[in-house]
Amino acid sequence: MSKIKPKEIDSSLRKFIKDLGYISGGAAILATTPWLQSFTTDAAKEIKNEKAKIGFIGTGSRGTYNIQAVSAIRHAEIVGLCDIYPPNLKAASAIVPNAKTYTDYRKLLESKDIDGVIISTPLYMHAPITLDAMAAGKHVYCEKAMALTMDECKSVYEAYQKTDKVVYFCMQRMFDEKYIKGMQMIHSGTIGDIVGERCHWFRNHDWRRPVPSPELERQINWRLYWDYSAGLMTELASHQLEVCSWAMQMVPETVIGTGDIVHWKDGREVYDSVNLVYSYSNGVKINYESLISNRFNGMEDQILGSKGTMNLASGVYYLDDDSIGQKSGIEQLIGQIGNRLYASVPAAAPSWRPETKTSFVPHKIIKGDFQVNDGLSMIGALKDGTDEILSAFCQGCITGERGENIVEEAYTTTMLCLLGNQSIAEQKKVYFPDEYKIPYMKFS
Amino acid sequence: MIKEAVYYESTRMFHGSLMNIMGTRFGLLLINKNRIESYEVWNNVVFELRRLDLLFNRFDINSETSKINCEAKHGFMQTSREMMNVLKSCKDYHKRTLGLFDITLDDISNVLLNEKNCSVAFTKDNVSLDFGGYAKGYALLKIQDIMNNALVEHSFIDFGNSSICGMGHHPYGSAWKVGVKNPYLPNVILDEIELSDNFLSISGNSPSYTGHIKHPGSQKLVESRKVISIISENPLDAEVLSTSFMIANRKEQELIKENFKIQNIGQYNI
Repeated sequence: MSKIKPKEIDSSLRKFIKDLGYISGGAAILATTPWLQSFTTDAAKEIKNEKAKIGFIGTGSRGTYNIQAVSAIRHAEIVGLCDIYPPNLKAASAIVPNAKTYTDYRKLLESKDIDGVIISTPLYMHAPITLDAMAAGKHVYCEKAMALTMDECKSVYEAYQKTDKVVYFCMQRMFDEKYIKGMQMIHSGTIGDIVGERCHWFRNHDWRRPVPSPELERQINWRLYWDYSAGLMTELASHQLEVCSWAMQMVPETVIGTGDIVHWKDGREVYDSVNLVYSYSNGVKINYESLISNRFNGMEDQILGSKGTMNLASGVYYLDDDSIGQKSGIEQLIGQIGNRLYASVPAAAPSWRPETKTSFVPHKIIKGDFQVNDGLSMIGALKDGTDEILSAFCQGCITGERGENIVEEAYTTTMLCLLGNQSIAEQKKVYFPDEYKIPYMKFS
Repeated sequence: MIKEAVYYESTRMFHGSLMNIMGTRFGLLLINKNRIESYEVWNNVVFELRRLDLLFNRFDINSETSKINCEAKHGFMQTSREMMNVLKSCKDYHKRTLGLFDITLDDISNVLLNEKNCSVAFTKDNVSLDFGGYAKGYALLKIQDIMNNALVEHSFIDFGNSSICGMGHHPYGSAWKVGVKNPYLPNVILDEIELSDNFLSISGNSPSYTGHIKHPGSQKLVESRKVISIISENPLDAEVLSTSFMIANRKEQELIKENFKIQNIGQYNI
């Protein structure tokens, strides 16, 4: 039994989806977000007396965040905890004292009491544990990214094709209300044709955690070393590239990038600064930038349309027509004269001044207050969709219903991240390799 | 600076527009001139506007205004003949508006002119010239000359929404009809004005641009929600008066009116 009192942490999104379905028609919402098909208020009622029995593999900072989230889900019970680092396991056990503890994940997987596992380990262990868990007949939820290498991604994807188990990767923006509504608006033409995508993630933090003794450096600061991590691309860019593909409903064909260790020259191997350009077959590009020695620009997922701009992370959009004084009286006069009309033109007003960025009127994507992730936390942000995707997974552990497209999105996104790193390492444009393409992907 | 020009053969109409000139945008419509004549007029107008931008732009370090603002505090410095005439004209407007029109936004008596030597000096350090309430009217005077020389009969100019010129008439009407917009409610028209061989100048505050007009005497910002419109045959008079009437009280307005030939004054309290 957890010390955290359960509450309906997912009811807001379930109601949101229901309302969105009423507004747009159920078919429309499901066409663009099929993974939400079963995330309904009715489904929540059906499973309210059941509990998914969950085992946690990895109980570090992100694992602890997930433990707390799952502890608050009515239809879940944490029955197992596993970590190779004793202080983390002890801390997690304090939150869920009744859960059995393990130091070897294979032993946890042998437990008949566990329906599904939630993996929050360093990246290099994602694929091995996910594959072992599927082989052990467990439902699997794994943090992003999917895997450290492209071959591992392929193995996970192929194993997923062969199993009937529920498999989720933490693509939490797919469960974030402002992204869901924003995407629906994009796909219905609110901002016109997508003409560009710009994403950035800036922090000013060395990405390090304190190490009690030197031999634990790579175990604790795993993000900084290539054997354990793929750096900024998998840790940060993966979320944002997924958003770009989701908006475009296509996958970029090529990537060219550059990366360096600009500031944190502390023995780390991964870049602390990356800039990449991903290109779709129609010429639209994703400009991606991440830097962890300056936080001025924060984090944003920006979709540029011919009629407006959608800042999905901020939950705000701007329309070109809203720019102040966008049409002169003369332009209206020209229309009049062309139509042989004589009428007044509303031309005169206090001096017009040049348009600036602030002259566009911001509109909220969803009504009311909502959480905006400033991107500064290394663990995660509140109400960014994580609680909801965890809830959906736990529901899947009970019903056996798989979350459509989630594995495919994770596969695609992780591949894009790894191709980005390849481009940086080889200092050349890299094409999406045919042997790693899956039927889900659309390139044109 | 974005410059665009289009000639519509079917209606014998030319449209030219310039973005970011004198801190705003400029649009010109010429009627019943052929393509070659239209482009010739337009090129002359653009050349003149750019020249005047360089004369008046206090944010451009190379403008004559900037040079005066930097150097005149040290003593008399040479100016162009044109600048000298402009400064004389500004002093004259200062008198005729009871001191409310002031290009120093403080006290223009601190600007000393030596007409004979064509030189100017400031009597103290923190004096600077700001032609914001003057330059567009002056530019329209110059453009009027260009149009007259080219025998343009029918034209319409929109200089940043606040300075409008209607010469001749609309191809399908007896004048050019212009609606005065409520800056706080963009879809609400405060008044409809017909222009024919005259100029309209608008001054006022708007939600995004309040408090840009300052009383030169009290130094208080004019923040009231009102719009002033002035119609005159002289664009410079219209320009100077629309700003001055924003500042003037009712009695001052009556006195100033006597010093000018104004066709119409509108005040809209919103």
